[in-house]
Amino acid sequence: MPHILIPAPLRQYAGGQSSVEAPGATVAEVLAALTSLHPDLRKHLFSDQGGLRSFVNIYVGDEDIRYLEKEQTAVGASETLTIVPSIAGGAR
Amino acid sequence: MIEILPAPWEVILGHARACYPRECCGILLGEVGDGGSRRRVTIAVACANAYQGEQSDRFELDPADQFEAQRLARKEGLEVLGFFHSHPDCDAYFSATDLAHSWPWYSNLVVSIRHGGFDHARAFRANEAQTESTSEELICPTS
Ligand SMILES: [Zn+2]
Repeated sequence: MPHILIPAPLRQYAGGQSSVEAPGATVAEVLAALTSLHPDLRKHLFSDQGGLRSFVNIYVGDEDIRYLEKEQTAVGASETLTIVPSIAGGAR
Repeated sequence: MIEILPAPWEVILGHARACYPRECCGILLGEVGDGGSRRRVTIAVACANAYQGEQSDRFELDPADQFEAQRLARKEGLEVLGFFHSHPDCDAYFSATDLAHSWPWYSNLVVSIRHGGFDHARAFRANEAQTESTSEELICPTS
């Protein structure tokens, strides 16, 4: 089963775990399974419109899904998804 | 409380000076204790500012750099504790822009660089709703 690496800010919404297993053959399916296991994660990953929040990046293996097929990117049975928060800012 | 060891502190200041008068940015790795409230930075990773535009008052981390930092942290048995960036010729405050593009839990170190040299630094954490930030006690080498 694919597993998902959870960054520290989101672990409190995933039972305190840094890695969670969830079934699925695409990113969309795995994230749907993840958020049904841990419903509190949903609002941190998805916007009210249902898409991935723009501050959330998903990697499958070593690749950012933005450069693959986004949420339709295929996920192998033993593959790792990594959730990477976007960080930016500025003095003004 | 966040403590920064001398080696990562030198990386942070060196990167901030080298990028002046543009903002620099990077990633803080280290150890956590007391349920996340005590943090010790043992590695600082200097990153390129990925902001497309005028960088004197903006920064953006490339997600690919953060992906690599997460991998390094797991390999070293550490945690990504937060991020650092510089404010060239500005005080080390946590701006509305900083807050809007931050995440809760992480420590955010802001380094003030004036006329190309280190002036002062402060650390901040955003609340869960990202509506406000609080300052975090910072222990760093005297420079
Ligand atoms: Zn800032």
